[in-house]
Amino acid sequence: MTSSYALPTTAIPQFHTHSPGHMHSHSNSNSHSPSASLSSLHAPRSRKDSRARGQAHDRRDHGHSHGDGHDHDHDHDHDHDHDHDHGHSHSRDRSGTNGNRSRKHQPPPLAPSGHWRMESTAGGTSLLTPTDPKFDVGREYQPPTASRDHAPHGPVERSKFTALVLPLTERWPLIHTILVEKDSRRIFYFMTLNLGFMMVQAFYGYVTDSLGLLSDSIHMFFDCVALAVGLFAAVASKWPPSERFPYGFGKIETLSGFANGIFLILISLEIMFEAFERIVEGRETKRLGELFVVSTMGLLVNLVGMSAFGHHHHGHDHGHSHGHSHGTLPKCNGDSHDHDHHDHGHGHDNHDHDHDHKHEKKGHSHAGHSHSHDNENMHGIYLHVLADTLGSAAVIVSTILTHFWKWAGWDPLASFLIAVLILLSALPLVKSSARRLLLTIPAGVEYTLRETLPGISGLKGVTGYAVPKFWLDDRNAGEGAPANRLRGVIHIMAARGADMDDVRDRVRNYLAEHEIDVTLQVEREGDTTCWCGVGRSGLSISHKPSKSMGML
Amino acid sequence: MAYDDGPGPAPAGVGALKNPFNFQTQVISTSPVKSNVGQRRGHRYKHSSISAQHQFFQEPPPRPPPVLPASLPIPTLREAWTSMHRDQRARLYWCCCHFAIALSIFLGASGSLAMTGLSHLVFFDVGSAAVCVAVDVVGNFEVLRRSSIRHPFGLQRAEVLAGFAMSIFLVFGGFDLVSHNLKHMLESLGHHAPHHPHPTSPPSQVCALAAAFSTLVSAYGLRNHSRIRRVMRVPLPLVGAAGGSNPFHVLTLLFSCVLLVLPLVVAVPPPAFVWLDRAICALIAASMFFLGVRLAVAQGLMLLMSYSSAQPSKDVAPGTGSSSVAAVLREIEADPHVARVDEAQFWQVHYGLGVANLSVRLRGGADDGVVSALRTRLARVVQNRLGEGYGRGGSLRWEVTVQMCGDGS
Repeated sequence: MTSSYALPTTAIPQFHTHSPGHMHSHSNSNSHSPSASLSSLHAPRSRKDSRARGQAHDRRDHGHSHGDGHDHDHDHDHDHDHDHDHGHSHSRDRSGTNGNRSRKHQPPPLAPSGHWRMESTAGGTSLLTPTDPKFDVGREYQPPTASRDHAPHGPVERSKFTALVLPLTERWPLIHTILVEKDSRRIFYFMTLNLGFMMVQAFYGYVTDSLGLLSDSIHMFFDCVALAVGLFAAVASKWPPSERFPYGFGKIETLSGFANGIFLILISLEIMFEAFERIVEGRETKRLGELFVVSTMGLLVNLVGMSAFGHHHHGHDHGHSHGHSHGTLPKCNGDSHDHDHHDHGHGHDNHDHDHDHKHEKKGHSHAGHSHSHDNENMHGIYLHVLADTLGSAAVIVSTILTHFWKWAGWDPLASFLIAVLILLSALPLVKSSARRLLLTIPAGVEYTLRETLPGISGLKGVTGYAVPKFWLDDRNAGEGAPANRLRGVIHIMAARGADMDDVRDRVRNYLAEHEIDVTLQVEREGDTTCWCGVGRSGLSISHKPSKSMGML
Repeated sequence: MAYDDGPGPAPAGVGALKNPFNFQTQVISTSPVKSNVGQRRGHRYKHSSISAQHQFFQEPPPRPPPVLPASLPIPTLREAWTSMHRDQRARLYWCCCHFAIALSIFLGASGSLAMTGLSHLVFFDVGSAAVCVAVDVVGNFEVLRRSSIRHPFGLQRAEVLAGFAMSIFLVFGGFDLVSHNLKHMLESLGHHAPHHPHPTSPPSQVCALAAAFSTLVSAYGLRNHSRIRRVMRVPLPLVGAAGGSNPFHVLTLLFSCVLLVLPLVVAVPPPAFVWLDRAICALIAASMFFLGVRLAVAQGLMLLMSYSSAQPSKDVAPGTGSSSVAAVLREIEADPHVARVDEAQFWQVHYGLGVANLSVRLRGGADDGVVSALRTRLARVVQNRLGEGYGRGGSLRWEVTVQMCGDGS
């Protein structure tokens, strides 16, 4: 940078008289230099960017703000912020009870970061035996309602029926656990309704020998299976971490959401294929009256489900604005701002073709992404019920249409359209849950992390670090913990004279300030025995581990 | 600029006119331009006594470049296409062929449920083969294996996710077959007019042959399902003896052989054939469902960030202390330098990588040599105990991180 400044001081008078072109090039190089230095810092990023645009001027812009200059999604940014906050408070009231209780047994931690360090203790003295979580929650049922965060939501939303049933079920811990939590309660009620309806349907189908009723009850049964999986996920997500599951079951709802999304995509593909086949073959639908009655009943049942799960969804939307007004984390604000920009640009790079669609669905996918983890499950179930509702509605409409205009293609056409809708609505769910399951760090958090990491080598006694690997922590570490807390691993190289314990505590505290919980291995400078290869090359930086991974 | 009166009315004495321009080469400076980089004005004696005392010229500490790239570019389709090697491209083409075969089996089933079921199996093979090819191609790029801040363990976990999606497909296929089967059965029981024409003759054996062939090619050419198999510990004694084959290949091959041979061996009358067809379909559906659930659980566990030990016999409830992780912990705690293990997290990232985070309290003071040796020893214990051996295909590499506290007891 200094060189580019130094050159003009001697050269300007001479170039000035000659041609303005040189002058231009000078100014150009001058404005380049910050971007060049930045791009060398974030080399891979700027490469991506230059692929998208190839403009140095844009690159500089990018370097400054990490925004790609997409003005149009500023409003999304705001939403996103709120999401973060909301997800935080929500998750707190949701599973804070569990974490609290397991933490009661433990001595107060040394470092501020070590809230839950003993949770996964294995072997030896302080073994935290994994109690039967259902029983646990079932017995100590008071805390969730008493929780202050939940106060405006919980008791109000608990219906009279639940209040009536809840004390009766205390003897059966399994059912009680299900009923205590809002999400699982909803799934459970709807599943009971579905199951009952299925039985009634199957019975009448058998008695009246109606094929439509029978096949619809088969369909209902599969719905019940999907609901049961969702219910299991909702219950299991409250289980505490154990030796086998050191990070708890926070991801199980994401997993269930992902599975539900994949299932929906497959179903819609199949429906599309069948509809196509039927249009080609021109097979006509028979027994219109029976079909009409069955699908109307199905529609009614599913509408109940829609109102239950849809309300859940709506409640979240409402919560966004709330979360914002109640104290925000300054760090999160800036980050998520950048995050959105970058994420959008990213999508651009990869999926130029479906830009419109992506943009349109953006709010949706982001909501799922940044909420606390229980929502992907609920989102998946909601989509499933929505798909069924739409399916029933389509059948009703097409029956009416066929009744008036005798064309065999109404039904396949309607089901084809519905399938396309379902496919499009399931895609964002699959994408967001896949991102979580891949342990991808959201861009906003990534930005903070990138700011944080170089500070480590500035700490006293630290000469370098290697293999920093961080991922989002699903365990909610009690009150006051932000939603995007990180958990990770890092190897630190200590200078020759430094005390290793000292270095360890210093780095741990530094990272804990940035909401990162870390397992930290301190190595002495020059020690090359570790797999991370930190001491092998001269400058404490080694890319050897990545290379040595090699080909499979 | 300089020619005020224009070029037109030139004066007579042209030669005497003074040229405003100087066309001669002028050398401004013979020596190269010297930049004064690093030279500052003001106090310029770095090594003078006053500078040494007051540290005016303290050099900034050399700051290392960032260890990890923030994010590595994920290749676009075009980049992936251009990066492909010759054999990778061949594999891709084969994948397309395989898909075409599956599609033709599906369309050529002509109402035979068993053949439809077989086509579902072949579709699963195709999907799995496509995942193999995709992972292979993305392997040309750094982003797959090298960790960045955005993807701390690279993208290899995506393969697990894709496998999970494939297992969902298996379950879905099982459900689908069952519901089709039930509908058919209801139709024939209720004496309604059937939607589909019932097959009265066995479907063409060309399809079955093609299914078997394509499965074999994929198994040996692409090493299809090889990594999936690693997480699947299906105890199939008969199959295990057959050597190296895995349940998925066996399934497809078995059913295609059945469909191939059956019409040759037994001459079935048409009404009985319908039932036979349904029975085979039900069998396929059941096995798809079973395998799908097993596969989904195995990969779902990995996606839940857990580690379940490889040995199926030691599949015990967590915390009872007889799993292999507990054994490792016991061995670690038996070490004379270790007072206790505060925290132990064992989890598997993807098919080939496990992560072990240990927080260990040392007994007594420890100097560098002891600490380093202990660390190496612990890493070796974990790798040897949980590395799953080299004999049975791929081994599991463990990245062990040990946090040590010297102030224990």
